[in-house]
Amino acid sequence: MGRKTAAFVLSLFVAPVISSTSNSSDSKPRFSIAGERYHEDLIIQPLRDGRVISTFTFTTLLEGVSPRDPWELETPAQHYTLFPLTLGQILREYSITELHLSLNAGKWNYDNWGYPEDPSVSTGAELWAWMADGGPMSIDERWTSLRNALAGLFCASLGSLDSRRTSSPYSAFPLSSVSSLKISFQYALRHATLPSEHVCTENLTPFLKLLPCKSHTGLARLLNPQRLFDADWHGLGVHVLSTDRGLELRLGVQAVLDPVRESGGKRRDWSFQSLFDRSIDAACPVSSRSTARVVIPDDDGYRLSPELLLGDKSMAIYDLTSQVPLDISMLWPNEHPFPFPPTHTGPLAPLSIKRALHGFSQTHGVLSVALSNNEYGDITIGYLETLPALVTLWMHTIKAEVRGTQRDDLISDISYHPSLLQSNGRYGPSVLQVRLTVPAKSALRLSIDITKTFLKYTEHPPDAMRGWDLPPAVLFPVLIDGPVKYMVNDSFVDGIGTRDRHRTIPHRMYTPTLLVDLPTPDFSMPYNVIILSCTLVTLIFGSIFNLLTRKWAIVKVEE
Amino acid sequence: MNHPVPTTTNHGLKEPQKLCFETARTRRLVLGSYWTIIILAFPFWWNLTSIERIALPSYRVRAQLDRKPVFPVSVRLDASSFQGSAPTLGRALHEILAQTAQASPRWRNLDIQVGVSEHAGDQSEGPNVYSVVLGNHTAVRHPRQVVVSQEDASSTLRLGNILSSLLAPEVTSMQAQRIAQYAKRYRLAFTLLNENAASPHLVNSWDIQTALAGKFFRFIYHVFPIISRLDVLHNFTVESQVQYHAPLAFEPLQFAVANNTLHGLTPEDLTVFINSAEWTLSSSVSNDPVLHFVLFIPSPAQQPLHILDAHGLPTRQNAFLLPQWGGIFILNRHARAATMTHLTAADLVPVFSAFANQLSALLGVPPLPDGMMSEESSLLSDWQLDALLRYRTSENMLGSQQTLYSIIKLVDQIENMPVDQKVRGDVHDALTALGEAYRSAMGSPATALRWSSEALSLASHAFFNPGMLALLYFPAEHKYAVYTPLFASVSVPLIVALGREVYGWRRERQVVRSG
Amino acid sequence: MESSSFLLLMSCRLLLAFTPIPLTNDLQRDHQLSSPLTSYSRLKEGLWFYQHDVDPYAGGVFRHSPLLLSLFSAVLPPVPVVWALSDMVGAWALVRIWRARQRVNKGPSSRDSLVAAAYLLNPYLLLPSLALSTSTFENAFVLLALMLASDGRRSPALLALAFSTHLSVSTFLLVLPVLMLLVTSSVSQLASPHPFTGSTWTAYQYAGEFAAYWLVLFGAASVMAGSGWGWVHETWGASLTLPDLTPNPGLWWYFFTEMFDHFRPFFLMVFSVHLVIYILPICIKFQHDALYASFLLVGILGIFKAYLSLADPGLFLSMFVLFPEVYPYLRYPIVTTLLHTHASLLLPIFHALWVTEGRGNANFYYAASLVMGVAGGAGVVDACFAGLRIAMGDIAQGERGKWEVVQE
Repeated sequence: MGRKTAAFVLSLFVAPVISSTSNSSDSKPRFSIAGERYHEDLIIQPLRDGRVISTFTFTTLLEGVSPRDPWELETPAQHYTLFPLTLGQILREYSITELHLSLNAGKWNYDNWGYPEDPSVSTGAELWAWMADGGPMSIDERWTSLRNALAGLFCASLGSLDSRRTSSPYSAFPLSSVSSLKISFQYALRHATLPSEHVCTENLTPFLKLLPCKSHTGLARLLNPQRLFDADWHGLGVHVLSTDRGLELRLGVQAVLDPVRESGGKRRDWSFQSLFDRSIDAACPVSSRSTARVVIPDDDGYRLSPELLLGDKSMAIYDLTSQVPLDISMLWPNEHPFPFPPTHTGPLAPLSIKRALHGFSQTHGVLSVALSNNEYGDITIGYLETLPALVTLWMHTIKAEVRGTQRDDLISDISYHPSLLQSNGRYGPSVLQVRLTVPAKSALRLSIDITKTFLKYTEHPPDAMRGWDLPPAVLFPVLIDGPVKYMVNDSFVDGIGTRDRHRTIPHRMYTPTLLVDLPTPDFSMPYNVIILSCTLVTLIFGSIFNLLTRKWAIVKVEE
Repeated sequence: MNHPVPTTTNHGLKEPQKLCFETARTRRLVLGSYWTIIILAFPFWWNLTSIERIALPSYRVRAQLDRKPVFPVSVRLDASSFQGSAPTLGRALHEILAQTAQASPRWRNLDIQVGVSEHAGDQSEGPNVYSVVLGNHTAVRHPRQVVVSQEDASSTLRLGNILSSLLAPEVTSMQAQRIAQYAKRYRLAFTLLNENAASPHLVNSWDIQTALAGKFFRFIYHVFPIISRLDVLHNFTVESQVQYHAPLAFEPLQFAVANNTLHGLTPEDLTVFINSAEWTLSSSVSNDPVLHFVLFIPSPAQQPLHILDAHGLPTRQNAFLLPQWGGIFILNRHARAATMTHLTAADLVPVFSAFANQLSALLGVPPLPDGMMSEESSLLSDWQLDALLRYRTSENMLGSQQTLYSIIKLVDQIENMPVDQKVRGDVHDALTALGEAYRSAMGSPATALRWSSEALSLASHAFFNPGMLALLYFPAEHKYAVYTPLFASVSVPLIVALGREVYGWRRERQVVRSG
Repeated sequence: MESSSFLLLMSCRLLLAFTPIPLTNDLQRDHQLSSPLTSYSRLKEGLWFYQHDVDPYAGGVFRHSPLLLSLFSAVLPPVPVVWALSDMVGAWALVRIWRARQRVNKGPSSRDSLVAAAYLLNPYLLLPSLALSTSTFENAFVLLALMLASDGRRSPALLALAFSTHLSVSTFLLVLPVLMLLVTSSVSQLASPHPFTGSTWTAYQYAGEFAAYWLVLFGAASVMAGSGWGWVHETWGASLTLPDLTPNPGLWWYFFTEMFDHFRPFFLMVFSVHLVIYILPICIKFQHDALYASFLLVGILGIFKAYLSLADPGLFLSMFVLFPEVYPYLRYPIVTTLLHTHASLLLPIFHALWVTEGRGNANFYYAASLVMGVAGGAGVVDACFAGLRIAMGDIAQGERGKWEVVQE
C-alpha cells in the first residue's frame, strides 16, 4: 500500500460546516471578539519523585471556520483578531485539515511521570498533517511547502523532514474529529519525525509571538526560556484541529521541572517564583478564560498557597481574572529533607517500554523492544516503526519472546512497507506496523535484525562520526476484536474489549530514539582511490592487451 | 634490446611467425575489436558527461535591447469649443507637448498628436484619444476628457502645461523612490498594533471590513475602490490582524508644550519605527510582495505621540509612509474614547483615507495637477490610470529586456552552466510576450501592460531557474584529475599498437608494390 | 566407475550440509563470502516478502533472480543440503570437463579426485557455499554449461548457459566462448594452435537457440516476479548501476563510494564496457581452444565483476586444474599463490578491523581488496601468457639458457 492510497474516504457521519467568517458582534460576557475565542490553562502536577509537570495550553478557536477547500482558487480577504495571522495563512494556503507539530527535548519517562497531557512527546521534532486531496497542488507539494513554511515560522529545521522521513501511518495518527469533515473529500496523512532536532529559545520566541498576549501578560508570562530549557524535559506543541465549532488552535508547552535538584536534593517545595523565576502580574485581557490548576498529590503534609477557592480533592483551580497577581506555591513544611523517593510504587503507565540496538558491529545489529505489561490483564497495542533507509530491517528475523520462550503468536497483522525509491532518487523510510499482545504482568521482547547501509561519501553529513538518529517507535491504541484499523482519538478507553482482561492503551506512546553509527569511508580519499583503482585496472588491462597484440619472438641471450 | 635472430639455429622451438595466432590478420582483428568497443562507447561517454546547454535565442534578445515601445496619444480639441482658433492652438500645443515629453526620460515614448474633433468625447476613435472642451472650471471627466475653464484656455502655455501634467505627469525622484516594484499580485497586510495591551486604552477589535470598503460614508478615499480601479494592473489579497503587545524598539522623545507632556517621533525615529524583531506583520507563505499598513496605538504613557519635523516641532501629520514598504498611522485616543475597546468604521475613516493615500503613492498613481478637480465618480481618473499603465508598461519592458540580456551574458560567460529546455522555453515565451507588448502598446495600454508583466515574470523565472546553478563551480582541472589516471595510461598502449600496426601495414604495401 | 576418493569427497561434502557449523550467522553475513546479489539473508528476506504479499523487489533488499525465488518458495525450502548438492554437481561437472578434455570416455581417470578436490576443497568456493551464498549455483551452472558444451550436447548446454546468465548477468561474457566450444572440440589445442575450424553458421544457429531459451526464461521470470519489469532493474540492473555499496573484495564498491556524483554514471559505463572489451580479443586469440578462452574470461570476471565475492576468483582458481599442460610455462606461480594467500588473510582481518571492531578505517579494507585485485590480475595474466607460450614448445635440451622467448 503506497502513500497515495493511504488517503481514504470518510464515509462516517459527516456534517459539512458552511464557512461564515464574520458574525455580527453579539455581546458575550467579559470579552468578545466576533467569531474568535481564546482561553488559556495551566496544569501543575507534582510527582512522587519531587518533579513537577507543568502543562500550558493556549487555545484559540476560529468559530464556524472550516479548512479551505483545496479546489477553491481565489483567496478572499483574511481577517484575524486573536488567531495568529501567520499561522492562519499557512493553514489556509495549503488547506490543512489537521496539523500537529511538536518540538521536544528529552525522553519522556512514562514509568515515573505517567501519561503526558499532550501525548505528542516524541524526542525532537514531529510533524503530521491531514489534508484534503484535490486542487491544483498535490498532497506532496503541499506537504513540502507546509514544512518549509513552518520551518520559517518556528526557526526549526523542518525542511529536512523530506521524503526520506515522510510516511503515512494513518492508524497511529488518526484524524481527531471526523464529524466536521466534508464527505466529498479524500483525506491524506503525512507524518515525519526528526529526532535530532533540538528545541531551544529560538523556537520559543516565534512560538510566543503566536499568542495574543505574547509573554507579557497571562499564563505565558511564566514561560521563562532560561527555566524552561533547563527542565528535565520540555516541549512545544502546535495542534490545529477542525472541530464542529470551527478551527481550533492549541498551543502547548510542557515541562518537567525538578525543584529537588534546584534545592540541592533537600526539598520538593515549589512556587511559580522558584519554578519559573516569575509570577503572574496580570491576566491576558483578551482571554475569555484563564485558569491555573494544581493536581493535589496523594500524600498529605503539603501546604498550598494561596488558599484554595475552587476545586475539589483532586484538583485546585485558580482563576487568573480574579486572582492576579498570582504566585502559587506548594510546601511540605515537615519534610527535612525530602525522602527521595518517598514510597516505591510501581510504574505509572500500564506499559513500560525499552528499545535498544544490540550488536557491536558497524554493519549488523538487532533492534530489540521490550514491553513490560504492568497490569493484570493482557494489553494489545499497535506498534509502528518508521526507519530511514540507512537502516534495513530483516523482516524474516522478526520474533517475539516472553520469558525466554518464543511466542510469535503474540505478533499479528504485520504490515511492512520496505523503503521505496522516490522520484527524486532518494529512498523513503521503511514502515513496519504490527499488532502486539503483551501478556499480563510479563515482558514481551520483540527483536528484528538490522543492517546499516553503506553510503556514498557525498551522502554523509559533515559530522559523519556523530551517527544518525533513528526516530522513536510509536505504540498506539487499537480496536480490540478486530484488525488494526482507522479509529477516532479518545474512543479507546480502558476495557472496550472483553471486560478488564484485555485492553489497549489510551493514547499514543513513544519509545526513546536511537543513535546508529554507520561505517564511514575515508573522506579524504576520492582522488587517491581514482588513481589507485585506475592504475590497477590499467595494469591488468595493459598486460593482457600486450600479451594479445605483441609479436612473439625468440631471442638469443647475449652472454 | 635483443633483436630477433634468423631462425636457422636449432633451438627446438616452434617459429612464432608460423603460429596461427601470430598472423597479422589475427593481430589486427584483436586490435580492431579493442578499438571497435572503444569507439562504440564514445557516444555513451558524450551522453553521460556532457552538460545540457540548449542554445538560447541570443540574437533575438540583443535585437530587443534597442527597441522602445511607442505609445500613441491623440489629443482632440473640441471644434465647437475652440471655434476657429483650434488648428493654430493645436499646432502650438503639439509643440509644447512634444517638447515636454522629449525632456522627460519617463515619457519619451509618448507620441502625442493634437487634432481637432467635431465630436469630442467620442470613444469610438480608440482608447488613446483624449478630448479637450471648454467649460466653467477645469476638471477631468469620464471618458478621457478634460474640461478647461475660459481662463485656463486663454493661454496656450497654460493649456499646454495642464495637458502635459495630465498626460506626462512629472514625478519627483522622492516620489519615484516610494513606488513599490511592479508585481502582478500584492498582499495588503493591515495590522492594528496596541503598544501595550495591559492599558485601559486597549483596542481589541476594529471594524476593518467596513472600513476597507468605505461603503457607509460619502468619503471616497477608501481602499477597496482604489483596488478595484487598479485591477487592470495588479491583483490584491487583503489580510488583517490585531496585535496586543507591540512595543517600540526605542523610547520616543518627550517634551512639554503648554503644560501638556507630549511625545514625539523625530524623522530619524520614523526610519526605525518598525520593530521587526517583535512584530510579526506578515508570514512568508507566498512570494508576493507585501504592502503593510499599520495602525499604531501608543500606550497611555506615550500619548499623545506626534510626528516631529526637522526642527523638532510637532506637526499635524499623524501618518507617514515608508518607501516601498507601506504606511503607518498613529492613533492617539482622546480621553473620551479611551475606554472604547472597539474601533467602528466611523472611527477608522481618517485612518483608512490615510491608508488609501499611502496605497496610491506606493503604487505610483500620479496625483492630479494642483487645482484640478475630478468630475468622475471613480477615484482615479482615466488620465491618471492611463499614465500609470504607460509608465508601468515601459518599466516592465525595460526590466524584462535587461533580465533577458543578463541571462544571455551569464550563459555566455560561464561555460559550465547548464541550460535546459525550461529556461529556453521561458526565454522564448518572454520574447514573444515582449513582442506582443510592443505591438499592443500602439493600441490598448491595458493589454500592453498585461503582456509586459507576463514578459517580466517569465524573464525572471528563467533567470532564477535553479537548474542553472547546478554546476556553476565545477572547474576544468577537476575533470583532468578524474580522467587522466585511467585514460592516459590505457590509451598509450592502444595508440602505440595502432600506430605500429598502421606503420607495418604501410611497409608491407610498399614491399608488395616494389616487389 | 568413479574412484573411491572421489566418492569420499562427495559424501564428505554432503555430510557437511548436515553438520552444525559454528558461526553460521557470521559466515552468512560475511561480505567476502556473499555479495548483496547472492546473500542468503537477502534470499530469505525476499521469500518473506513474497509470502507476505510484499513486492520482493521493492526496497532494494532482494536482488536474486526470480528463478531462485520461485525455486525456494515453491519447490524446496532453502536448506544447506541444496548448496551441498549444487557443489557436488559443480565438482562432477568439472571432472567431466576434465575427462572430455583428455578424451577419457569411460572409467575413472587418475586425476578425477584431484579435480573434484580442487573444486570441493577450494576455500574460496567452500566457504561461500557454507555461507549459503547463491554464487554456488551460479558457478555450478557455469561449469554445467561448459561441461555440456565440451560433451557437445548442444541444447542442454545452451539451456544451462541461459540459466547461468539469468542468475548472474555478467556471465554473458561466457556466451561467445561456449558457442565456440560447442562447434569445436574441447580437447587441448594450446600446444598446436590452428585457425578456428568450427562452422560459423552453426554457431549462429546455436546463438539463436540460446536466445530462444533465454527469452523463455526471461518470460518465465517476469511471470514469477509478478510486478512488471521492476525485477530487471533490481537484479541485473544492480550489476550496472551499483546501488548497494556494501564492501566486497572487488574493485567497484570503494571506487563508487568515493566517486564524484557527476562522474558516477560515466565511470559505471566505463567499468561495464571494460568487462565487455575482453570478450572478442581473447576469443580471437584463443580461437583454437575455446575452453581456455572461457577460463580466461572467468578469470577476468573474478577480478572485475561488479559485486565480487570470493566464489568468483575461486572458480577461476579451481578451473586451473583443467589445464596441467600450461603449468610449466607459468612465469610466476609462486608469486600469484603468495599474493592470493596474502589477500585472503588481509581481507577478513581488515574487514573485521574496520567494520566489526571499528578500529581501522575503510582504507584498510580497500588496500586488501587492491591486493586481491593484484593477485587476480597476476593469475589471469600468467595464465594468458602460459596459454600462448605453450604453442612455441620447449627449448631443446642443449640450448637452454641461450634462448629466450619474448614479446616484442
